[in-house]
Amino acid sequence: MGGEAADEALRGDRVSVTVSPAPPRPLGRVPTRRPESSASWRLSDRIGLAVAWALGLFFCALTAAIVIYLLVQGLRYVSPHLFVTHPTAGFSETQTGGFLDPLIGTGIVALIAMGIALPVGTAIAVWLSEFGRPAPLARVAEATVEMLAGAPSIVLALFGALIFESPLLGFLSQQTNHVVLGRSFFAAGAMLSLVALPLVVTNVREGLQAIPSHVREASYAVGKSKVATTRRVLLPAARPSVVTGAMLGLGRVIGDTAIVLVLLGATLNLQGAGGPAILSTLRGQGSTMTSYIYENAPTGEGNQPTKAYAAAFVLLMIVLALNVLVDLAGRRARELRWS
Amino acid sequence: MRSSKKVLAALTAVVVVLGAPAAAIARTTIFGSGSSAEQPILNLLFKAYSKLHKNIAFAYNPDGGNAGVKDVQKGRSALAVNTRPPLPSDSGTTQFKIFLDGLCVAVNPANSLGNLTISQTKNIFLGLTTAWNSVGGSNLSATIDPIGRNSTAGSYTFFQSAVLGGKTQASNVNPQTSDGLVATAIKNDSNAIGYVGLAHSQPGSGVKTVSLNGVACNQTTIKRETYPLFRYIWAVVPTAHPSVPVEKFIDWVRVNHQAGLIISRAGAVPAFNK
Amino acid sequence: MDEYIPTERGAGWSQDQRAELWLVCIVVGLLIAMLVFVLHAAWPSFSHNGLGWFGTGGRVDGQIQAIFTSGDLKSTPLYVFHAWPLIWSTALITGVAVVIAFGSSLFVAVFIVEFAPDWLRGVLEPVVRLLASVPSVIYGLLGVLILVPLIGNHLITQQEKASVNPTVQLSGYGLLAAILVLTIMVAPIMIAVFVNGLRAVPRNWIEGSLALGINRWRTFWMVAVRTARPALVAGTVLATARALGESVMLSMLSGGVGFAPNPADGLIFLFEPSRGLASTILFNTDELSSPPMQHTLYAIAAVLLFSAVMLSFAGWAAKQPMKRYGVIA
Repeated sequence: MGGEAADEALRGDRVSVTVSPAPPRPLGRVPTRRPESSASWRLSDRIGLAVAWALGLFFCALTAAIVIYLLVQGLRYVSPHLFVTHPTAGFSETQTGGFLDPLIGTGIVALIAMGIALPVGTAIAVWLSEFGRPAPLARVAEATVEMLAGAPSIVLALFGALIFESPLLGFLSQQTNHVVLGRSFFAAGAMLSLVALPLVVTNVREGLQAIPSHVREASYAVGKSKVATTRRVLLPAARPSVVTGAMLGLGRVIGDTAIVLVLLGATLNLQGAGGPAILSTLRGQGSTMTSYIYENAPTGEGNQPTKAYAAAFVLLMIVLALNVLVDLAGRRARELRWS
Repeated sequence: MRSSKKVLAALTAVVVVLGAPAAAIARTTIFGSGSSAEQPILNLLFKAYSKLHKNIAFAYNPDGGNAGVKDVQKGRSALAVNTRPPLPSDSGTTQFKIFLDGLCVAVNPANSLGNLTISQTKNIFLGLTTAWNSVGGSNLSATIDPIGRNSTAGSYTFFQSAVLGGKTQASNVNPQTSDGLVATAIKNDSNAIGYVGLAHSQPGSGVKTVSLNGVACNQTTIKRETYPLFRYIWAVVPTAHPSVPVEKFIDWVRVNHQAGLIISRAGAVPAFNK
Repeated sequence: MDEYIPTERGAGWSQDQRAELWLVCIVVGLLIAMLVFVLHAAWPSFSHNGLGWFGTGGRVDGQIQAIFTSGDLKSTPLYVFHAWPLIWSTALITGVAVVIAFGSSLFVAVFIVEFAPDWLRGVLEPVVRLLASVPSVIYGLLGVLILVPLIGNHLITQQEKASVNPTVQLSGYGLLAAILVLTIMVAPIMIAVFVNGLRAVPRNWIEGSLALGINRWRTFWMVAVRTARPALVAGTVLATARALGESVMLSMLSGGVGFAPNPADGLIFLFEPSRGLASTILFNTDELSSPPMQHTLYAIAAVLLFSAVMLSFAGWAAKQPMKRYGVIA
């Protein structure tokens, strides 16, 4: 938030920025000297520091515990056949199959959601950062994005159930006797894109704002229009931020459970809604890794904890991989820092 | 932006190319919903029927028997499966008995309890009897942990009318969203008692059924209809526009011997056209 | 000080920009439509119950069942609904978790920014980011398989079970498990925002205080933490919004009973099960096909949405002083 505020301050007046004093040296990045030991401090301060140390180490230990625990359980229960067998209803571990369908489902949902959120979010970010007129609309749009970020996903899910049941959108889900089911990959993907949208907008916007105005001015000077500048200069320069936003959004999409549980139907298998093959699947119901874990946890209908562990392990690995990608993109963004 | 547009275009192309040839195969999909307790049996029946009739496929949404009836009333499902008898509130639907099942009262194997009367069961689930030492025949003395079903379940409504005299189960009853969960909760808690469908109390499920009014809960007593909590499983279809493939399937389940064999192997009792 | 934009008029308003303008309008419109739709669908439930909707009265689970079964074609729909146990559960779990998370996050953030050795900072930052991105269903799964049996089998005694028996069953699913896991879920969000805020504090302010001979710990709390107050509010708001809307993890851990845990029961109260607003929606989504039930669920959603909007408004208000401060720096 602080960084955002600083960026906004930098941008607010592009010309004046050159005459304002240099931005503060950030704290953590520079290795600070440690001239004093805590021995001379008051007891309360030393206790405070000890608490800070303890909590810091606790968070490390907790994360290590979660990752190692899931790793151990995952290695125990993940087997290759889980990736290629369909889930089935049954009473025991041997009957209930694997998580092929949920894995595919996660992929489909992620594609649809990011396919909407990435272009739309980038466009909104560009508009907010580069054009932003009329100003009242820009403020409303900002507030909207902020509100969207705070809206509970279960509320988005219910809203989705309402709009996708309308006959107008019947072609996006299964339809019998003119009654629209409103549960489909389209419905879930569309609502999940709203979960990813604020993250894409915020990150792309920050990336664009970090580009100093002389870059734009140089582009105008060689006769490029504002639109061409945005397309050919600014967006490519902000690509690491676009990647960061996309990855963070993707992480939220594949981690969301509530929207999937409500809008993808209560089945674990991919159930087409009839029609051409792929369209049938997209209009049909299914499941994702998160809903698979939910159903197979001891509190879910399926109740096969070892399957849930295996799926949780796979999901955690996907999340970890996304984290690493965000890290790499962040590093590239820092290398590109303009000064 | 440019690259994302390209990706979108490529995706559309893939959808169009792969989607086209598959359109040729005509298949009727029957959309059903309802009881989660009977889903394992239904899945076996669906599979067998689809094997016999290659052009029929099934999609089943296990959202609970009562919810299934509402789906049929609203026209969202062509077929619902419910575990309680028809109620006046089921208006607009026609219901068929498809097979027989029992609602077994089950306890943890550590409990020596062998028999309960209906009124004892009622008192436990209404919160009037709260400790095992006030229940004759049990070696336990601790607090009773009653486990029940949630209100979308047909089993809940059936239990409510057959045992509780229409009253709502007490607030200390721990509501679970499926029969499997009830069985697990009983397995993990030596002081628990709950009600589950016969298929969920088979050997290996980790729970022990108790006799009700002196009658054990098994396929024989259910078939003879002597077990007090025997119940028919009902297929629910819309009265106004029933679908022909659905009616054919229901007939097959009710009379066909292969279907009967599947039902009894899965732990229920075929009704054979009752 | 006008910006130099050569093609501001005429060719500058290209199709691209117009398309983007439309897109923004559509997204804004969609959100307004969401508010209107949800409120419209919620209205019957609110208008039948009035302010009693938020009050106590009867057993909420019984009311939900009655509402659900009244939704057939013939009978008149029932709407009697008193949501207090659900509201209380959400407020209690969210409140306690946010308070605990706030305290510990502040310490961790201060530690990361100023006091941690470089190697530990290098570990802590990715750790916090990872914790923030673990899906809630995985937290729920770990809670169900580790925490709940631990509480149910080792912390709850038979006497405690017996003491609340006819009212409610203690099984390990309850406030304690829910609050612990929710704290772990929202703390990383707070830490990330706090760290950003603390880092933006100008270094020379702190050095000024150090030069006066005040020790580093005290200086940091007096100067940096105080300056970054808007960031603390913003982080707390963000975390609270997340906690309020959490449905999946809580539906797995808090116990599925519509019961208002009673602090008068003493410590046992921490073991009592409850069910919050968001998880009630999740529990009952299968019942959407019953019209009165649908209205009731949308009413719950409207309450959640309203709280979320109020929170983002509070967060926006808290950020304003930050902007001013940014200009000063």
